[in-house]
Amino acid sequence: ESVLSRIRSFEYSQKNAVLVPAAAVGIGGMLLYWLRSGRKIKTIDIGDGWWGTGERPLEGKEDESIRPFKIETSDKEIEDLHQRLDQFRFTPHLEGAAFHYGFNSSYLRKVVAYWRNQFDWRKQVEILNKYPHFHTTIEGIDIHFIHVKPSYVPHGRAVQPLLMVHGWPGSFYEFYKIIPLLTEPSRHGLNEGDVVFEVICPSIPGYGFSEAPHQKGFDSIATARIFHKLMNRLGFKEYYLQGGDWGSRITTNMAQMLPQSVKGLHLNLVFIAKQGLGRMISIMLGAYIPWLVGLSREDARLIYPFMQKNVYDVLRESGYLHIQATKPDTAGCGLNDSPVGLAAYILEKFSTWTDKSFLHKDDGGLESKYSLDELLTNVMIYWVTSSIVSSMRFYKENFSKDPDLSAHNRVGVYVPTGIAAFPQEIVHTPRIWAKDVYRNIITYSYMARGGHFAAFEEPKLLAQDIMQFVRKVEQL
Amino acid sequence: CSSLAGTMLLEVLLVLATLIIYFLFSKKKEETLHFKDGWWGKGQKPETKEDTSIRPFKVETTEEELSDLFRRLDQARFTDPLENSSFHYGTNSVYLRKVVSYWKNQFNWKKQVEVLNKYPQFKTKIQGIDIHFVHVKPPRLPEGRSAKPLLMVHGWPGSFYEFYRIIPLLTDPASHGLGDEHIFEVICPSIPGYGFSEAPHKKDFDSVSAASVFCELMLRLGFSEFYTQGGDWGWLICTNLAQIAPNHVKGLHLNMVSVSKMGLTHLLSILLGQYFPGLFGFQNEDVRRMFPFLKKGLYRILRESGYAHIQATKPDTVGCGLNDSPVGLASYILEKFSSWTDMEFQNLEDGGLERKFNLDDLLTNIMIYWVSGCIVSSMRFYKENLQNGIGTQKHEKVPVQVPTGIASFPNEILHTPQAWAQKKYTNIVSFHFMPRGGHFAAFEEPELLAKDILQFVGKVEKEQLWKKK
Repeated sequence: ESVLSRIRSFEYSQKNAVLVPAAAVGIGGMLLYWLRSGRKIKTIDIGDGWWGTGERPLEGKEDESIRPFKIETSDKEIEDLHQRLDQFRFTPHLEGAAFHYGFNSSYLRKVVAYWRNQFDWRKQVEILNKYPHFHTTIEGIDIHFIHVKPSYVPHGRAVQPLLMVHGWPGSFYEFYKIIPLLTEPSRHGLNEGDVVFEVICPSIPGYGFSEAPHQKGFDSIATARIFHKLMNRLGFKEYYLQGGDWGSRITTNMAQMLPQSVKGLHLNLVFIAKQGLGRMISIMLGAYIPWLVGLSREDARLIYPFMQKNVYDVLRESGYLHIQATKPDTAGCGLNDSPVGLAAYILEKFSTWTDKSFLHKDDGGLESKYSLDELLTNVMIYWVTSSIVSSMRFYKENFSKDPDLSAHNRVGVYVPTGIAAFPQEIVHTPRIWAKDVYRNIITYSYMARGGHFAAFEEPKLLAQDIMQFVRKVEQL
Repeated sequence: CSSLAGTMLLEVLLVLATLIIYFLFSKKKEETLHFKDGWWGKGQKPETKEDTSIRPFKVETTEEELSDLFRRLDQARFTDPLENSSFHYGTNSVYLRKVVSYWKNQFNWKKQVEVLNKYPQFKTKIQGIDIHFVHVKPPRLPEGRSAKPLLMVHGWPGSFYEFYRIIPLLTDPASHGLGDEHIFEVICPSIPGYGFSEAPHKKDFDSVSAASVFCELMLRLGFSEFYTQGGDWGWLICTNLAQIAPNHVKGLHLNMVSVSKMGLTHLLSILLGQYFPGLFGFQNEDVRRMFPFLKKGLYRILRESGYAHIQATKPDTVGCGLNDSPVGLASYILEKFSSWTDMEFQNLEDGGLERKFNLDDLLTNIMIYWVSGCIVSSMRFYKENLQNGIGTQKHEKVPVQVPTGIASFPNEILHTPQAWAQKKYTNIVSFHFMPRGGHFAAFEEPELLAKDILQFVGKVEKEQLWKKK
C-alpha cells in the first residue's frame, strides 16, 4: 500500500473521507510514477538469513536432518491451564453490546466452562498427531511441518506436492479437514480425481511448533526463502503453493522469488496495494458502470458501498493489526499469561472474519460454523507453545518497512495463479485489480459461501477449487 | 516526460479542487454544547429519586487479594525479547521481569493503600453510578481567605493517584515555596469506568457524559464557580465542561491540547510552516518540536496509536486478558509511562522508566486498575469517544470561550502550537513552553505544573477574566 494509504487509515471521518483520499491519491500517484521506472525486476532476490541466538556459527554446516516429532502434553500442563481458567476475572459487558465491543463476556463464560469441563486436550493431541509431524533446522531455527502422503495412489497418476501455508491467528491445524480431500479425493466423493496431492503444512517461524526467530527482521520474504529450502530439502524441485492471510503473502513471495520452482499458486485471499489516480477513478465510476471498469456484477456486489466495506469496515477490524505492527511484545504479553484472554482475542477473529453479520450476535455466531473443540485446539496450539508474542512480531517485521519501496510490491507474479474469492472475506479483490500483480491468472472463482478461514470453514469448496485450478495448469 | 508533468499537474489540481470544495461546504460553527443527561446504572432507571448523599470512602485490601496477586505473579509466562530490541517492540520482558520481582518482593500494597488513604475520598451517586473522588482542603487558611475550588481530571492509563504529588503544592503552596496568593481545595474524581468509580452499564458514555457528571458533582459539593485542570482524557472532559457550563468554569488549565478539526490552513502550515513559521504564527520552539513533520507528527502518530485503534474498536477483547494477567496489565500500562514521558526512552533496555518515576508510584497506579478490575471499562471510553471518527463530534466544532491556560510540555506525544490551539480556545490567557516533562505532567513535574497553574489563576483572578466572557 502506498505511504499515504497509511494516512487514509487513521484520523478518519465522513468529511475527511473526501479530503484525505484525494490528498493520498495525489501524492500516492506522484510517488508511483517515480517508482514505476524501476519496475523492471522480475524476481525477488533470494538473500540469506540467520535467526538463531547470537552470532551465526562460522564453522560447520547446518544440521539438515529431518526429525519426526510428536506433540505431547502432561498432567502439569493441563492442571496449570485449568487453574488459570478457574481464576479468570471476567468483566460484564455493556447492555446490548453483542460483539460490537469485542468478544462478548457472557458467551466467553460459556466457552470457558466448556474448555474447563468438556474439552479434552489429550484427545485433541491424539488428533493432531494423526498426521506425521517433523522438525528440521533451517537458517538457525527449527521448522515444524506436517507431511501427509496419499495412502493409496491410483495407477499411473502423478502425486503433486502441495505446500499450504496458514496465517494469523490460525495454524497448520486449519488444514486438517482439507488434507484428506486433497490426498484421497476419491474417498471423499471428489472424484474429479486425476489430481492427487501430498501435502506439506509448515508452521511459520514464531507460530506453533516452529521455533521463533531470535533476530529482528524476520519477514515474509525470509519465510518464503525458508519454505523453499524446506521443499528442496524434502526433495521437491517443483511444487504447488496454497495460502490465505499471511500464507497468501508468503506463497506470493515464494512465487516471486523462485518462479521456476512454483508450478502454480492458489490463493484464497489477495492483497493488493491500492494504486493511484486511475484506481480511484475506476472505483468511483465502478459504482455506477461496473462493466466499464472491468468489474463484474459479483465484484460490484462485494466491493460497494466502497467506503463502508473497504474503509470503515477495515478501520473497525484492523485495530489488532495496528497494535501488533507497532507494539507486539506489549500486545501479546497478557495473552501469553491468560488463556482466556488469548481465547477471546483469537476467537473474536474466527467470528467476525467468518461472517461480518456475526457482530450482531450475542454468541458471535461461532458455533454455527465451527465446533468448540476445533476452535479451542487452535487456541491451545498458541497456548502450549507460548507463541502468541512471536506470532504478533511478524506484523511488525512486515509492516515496518516502507511498502512502496520494498521489492515485492513492484515484482509481478508470473506463475500460473488461481484465486478463490470467498464472499465473506474481509476485503474483496476483483480479478481486474489482481491482474496488476498476478499476471497469469488461470482461474478466478466466486465461491458460493465462506469467509476468511476458507480451509477451516469450507474445506470441500476450497479443495474443489484447488483441484480444478491444478487440473487446468497440468493441461497447459 | 511532458505527459508525466501533465498528469502530476492534473493531480495537484484535483487535490486543490477537493480542498476548496471541502472548505466551502463545511458547516458553519455551532455555538453551544449542551449538558448531557443520562442514566448509566444497571437495568431500568428506578422511579425513586436518586440518593445524593456523599459517603466517605477508604481504599481497602485483603489477604486474599494479595495472595491471588502473588500467585499470578509467580506463574507469569514471559516471552524473551528479540536481540537488541530494547523497547522498540513494546515493553521489554527482561526489564518486566525485574519489575515483577520488585512487585512480589519489595512493593508493599498495604503501605501504598495507606498512602492512598491519606487524602479524604468519597463516593456519591450521579446519573445512576457511583462516582469516586478525592477532596482535599487546605490544611490551613490565612485569616479572611477562601480556597478556590479546582477540579483535576486524570486520563488513561492514569488515575486520581497521578495528582498525589501536586495536591500539596496547590492546597498548601506556602509550605512549598510557591507563595500563598492562591490556595486551592482540590477535587480529583475518577472517570466513570476508571478506578473506584463505577463503570457505566449502558453504551454511549462519552467525554460529554463525563463532563456532565463532573459538573453535577461540583454543584453537589456546593461549588458554583471553579477552575478545572486536565491532560489526556482530562483535557477533553475539562474542555467539554467549559463548553457545557461556561458560567461555572472560571478558568480552564490544560497540559495537553489536541485539535481535530483540520482545514486548509493546517495542511499548508504543515507543508510550509518549517520555512515560513511567522506566516503561520509558529514560534521557534513550535518549529523545533513539530518538524520534521513526518517523523515527529505522522509517523509518530501511526507508531504510537495502535492501542487507541484497538481500544476504540474492540475494547472488550483487548482488555480481557489484561484483567486476568497482572503482568500483562503492567506491561501494557508501563509502555505508555515510558514512551509518553520521552520518546527516546524506547531506545533504552529498561525504557527509562525509573529515571522519572519510582516503581512504587508506577505500581500503585497499576494496582488501582488491577484491584478495581476496571481495565476493560477504561478502554471502552475510547470506543465511546472515537467510534464515529475524529472530527465528527459536535464538541469538536464548538469553540471554548472560558479563560484558558496551556502548559505545553516538550515531550508531550504531539505538539500543538498556540496558533492552532487558539482557533478552538478563543480566550487563551497564558501559553507557556515548559522546560522539561512529558505527557504525565502532574506525576512527573508537579512543581512546574503547579507553578503554571498558579500563574494562570493569578492572571484570571487579577483581571476577573471570567466575568468578561
